[in-house]
Amino acid sequence: MSTKASRAAARLMISPSVILLLGWMLIPLGLTLYFSVLRYNLLMPGDNPFVGFENYSYFLTDPGFTAAIWNTLALVLGVLVITIIGGILLALLLDQPMWGQGIVRILVIAPFFVMPTVSALVWKNMFLNPVNGLFAHLFKALGLEPFDFLAQAPLLSIIGIVSWQWLPFATLILLTALQSLDSEQLEAAEMDGAKPLSRFWYIMLPHLARAITVVVLIQTIFLLSVFAEILVTTNGGPGYASTNLTYLIYVQSLLQYDVGMGSAGGVVAIILANIVAIFLMRMIGKNLEA
Amino acid sequence: MGKITLSQVTKSFGDVQVIPPLDLEINDGEFVVFVGPSGCGKSTLLRLIAGLEDVSSGRIDIDGAEATELPPAKRRLAMVFQSYALYPHMSVRKNIAFPMKMANVPEDEQKRRIDSAAKALNLSDYLDRKPGQLSGGQRQRVAIGRAIVREPAAFLFDEPLSNLDAALRVGMRLEISELHERLATTMIYVTHDQVEAMTMADKIVVLRAGHIEQVGSPLELYRAPRNLFVAGFIGSPKMNFIEGQTAEAHGAHTIGIRPEHIEVSATEGMWQGRVAVSEHLGSDSFFHVHDTGLADVITVRASGEIGFRHGDTIFLTPREDQLHRFGADGLRM
Repeated sequence: MSTKASRAAARLMISPSVILLLGWMLIPLGLTLYFSVLRYNLLMPGDNPFVGFENYSYFLTDPGFTAAIWNTLALVLGVLVITIIGGILLALLLDQPMWGQGIVRILVIAPFFVMPTVSALVWKNMFLNPVNGLFAHLFKALGLEPFDFLAQAPLLSIIGIVSWQWLPFATLILLTALQSLDSEQLEAAEMDGAKPLSRFWYIMLPHLARAITVVVLIQTIFLLSVFAEILVTTNGGPGYASTNLTYLIYVQSLLQYDVGMGSAGGVVAIILANIVAIFLMRMIGKNLEA
Repeated sequence: MGKITLSQVTKSFGDVQVIPPLDLEINDGEFVVFVGPSGCGKSTLLRLIAGLEDVSSGRIDIDGAEATELPPAKRRLAMVFQSYALYPHMSVRKNIAFPMKMANVPEDEQKRRIDSAAKALNLSDYLDRKPGQLSGGQRQRVAIGRAIVREPAAFLFDEPLSNLDAALRVGMRLEISELHERLATTMIYVTHDQVEAMTMADKIVVLRAGHIEQVGSPLELYRAPRNLFVAGFIGSPKMNFIEGQTAEAHGAHTIGIRPEHIEVSATEGMWQGRVAVSEHLGSDSFFHVHDTGLADVITVRASGEIGFRHGDTIFLTPREDQLHRFGADGLRM
C-alpha cells in the first residue's frame, strides 16, 4: 500500500462500505435529532410544528425520568459486578482439570444461547412466580412465606435474570484469558512463596485485567439497552421501580404514539451512554493498551 | 548448606514411568549440570527437586532434612525458568522484590538486597522498567536477580539460555559461572547443550530416558565415558564409532575415537578415505570422510591450516592411546 495508485484504489474500494456505514448511522441519527424538536404525535395527525426543546423538557421532567436513570445505572452496575465476580470464580473452577470438562463448559455457556424474552419468561413463570415458581416451593418447603420477587424486588429480580444471561459471556472471556496465563509464572510465584490467594491477587488478577476491561465495555453497551426482560416480567413497574431509560422511551413513544418525545428520549439515552463510555474509558481504558 | 540427596526417587505419569529409581548426591556449593537429549527426564528431575512435581516414591533430602513432602516455597530453592517467568505487569524492582514481599522481609532489608542484586547484575538502570521493555539477556538477569534475593540454599536453572542468541549465550554462560564462583551456592543446571555442560559444570549428570548414564567431572566424562551413549553425547563433534573387524582387532565390539584424536595425511596412514565435506572454521577444520570401509562417515578435526577439498583422498591414523573400547553391551571395557 505504498504507491499513489494503490492508495487511491484502496480508498475507492473501501468507499462503498464507508458510505453505507455512514448513511446507516447518520441518517437515523439525523432523523432522530430532527423529530426530537417537532411536536409529532401519531394520534394527532396534521402538521408537525417545530417546538424547540419542548420534548426534552417534558422528557427530563417526567416523574419517571430520574428513577429511570438510577435504575439504568443500578442495572448496569449490578449486572457487571455479579457477572465479573461470578465469571472469575466460574472461570477458576472450569480451569481445573476434571472429568467431563467439555460438556460442563458447554452447559455453562448454554444460557447465552437462550433469547432474552424466553429466558425472562422462564424465570418469571418457573422460578419467581409466587404460587407455582420453584423458589415459592422452596420457601414453602422451608416453612417460609413465598416471596413475590417481581412485585417486592422488581429491579433486583431483573438484575438477577440479566446476570444469569450474561454470566456465560463473562465466564467464557475470562476462562480463555486464564488459560493464556503462562503456567511457569504461576510456578515461579509458587516457588517465590506466594500462597494460592496471593497468586490469584498478584499474578492472575493483573493478567485478567484486559479481559475484564473487554467484558465491562461490551456488557455495558448491551446492558444500557436492556428491554425485553423488563417488558415480559414487570412492565417497568410497580410504578417506576424497574423502568430503565430504554423502557421509559418505549413508554413515551410507542405507548403514547409520541414520536417527538421518543426521539428526545433517544437523544438523552445517547448522551447518557456517552457519559458512561467516557467514565469507563477514563477508568479502565489504559488496560487495553499493550 | 545446600546439600541435596535423592534416594530411590521415581516419577510416573499415569502408567508411564519417566524416572526409574534414581539415586543422586549433590554436594554443597557444587555446580551440577543435568544434560541429555530432549525428553530424557532432566527437566522433570529438576521439577521434582523444586517440588513443582510430586515424587511417585523415594525420598529427597535438602540440607540434611527430609523435603519430599515440603511445598516448593519451603524448600529454600530458587528457580530460573526457561521462559524467565517474569511477572509482566510488575516493574523490575517489584519482580525482584516479590519473593521477599511474600516472605514479609522488612522494607529496608528488601531495598538493600534489591540494590545489591541490581548492582551485581547490572540492572540498576532498569529497575523501574517493565519486563516487556527489556532485552532477552536483561530479562534473564532479572530472573536471576529474583532468585538471588531469596538467598536460597540452591539455585535451579531450567535451560535458562535456550531463548538467547548465540553471542548472548556465551556471555550469560560466563556470568552464571562467575555468579557461582562469587556466591559459592549449590547450583543445578539443566541443559541439552553439552557445550554448556562441559564449560560450566563441576559435575555433569548425563541422563537418558530417566536413567543416570554417568556422573562425573567434565574431563572424566570426556576421557573415560562409561558407555556408548555418554561417549557419543559428550564432545563436539561427536566421537566416531567403528564396529566389525577393525574393532575386533582391538579386542572390542565397538571402538570409539574422537575427531581430534585422528592424525590426517595426504600420503600415508592407517585408513584411507575420501573427503565428502570440509568445514573450515579458521582455527580448526572438520573433514567428513566417506568410503573408509569402517563406518558411514568418519569425522576428523585438524588444524585450520590443513586444507582438503571435496573428493580428495585422505589418510587417517588414530592415536592408539586415545581409543575407547566398548563391549557388545555398550559398556566401556
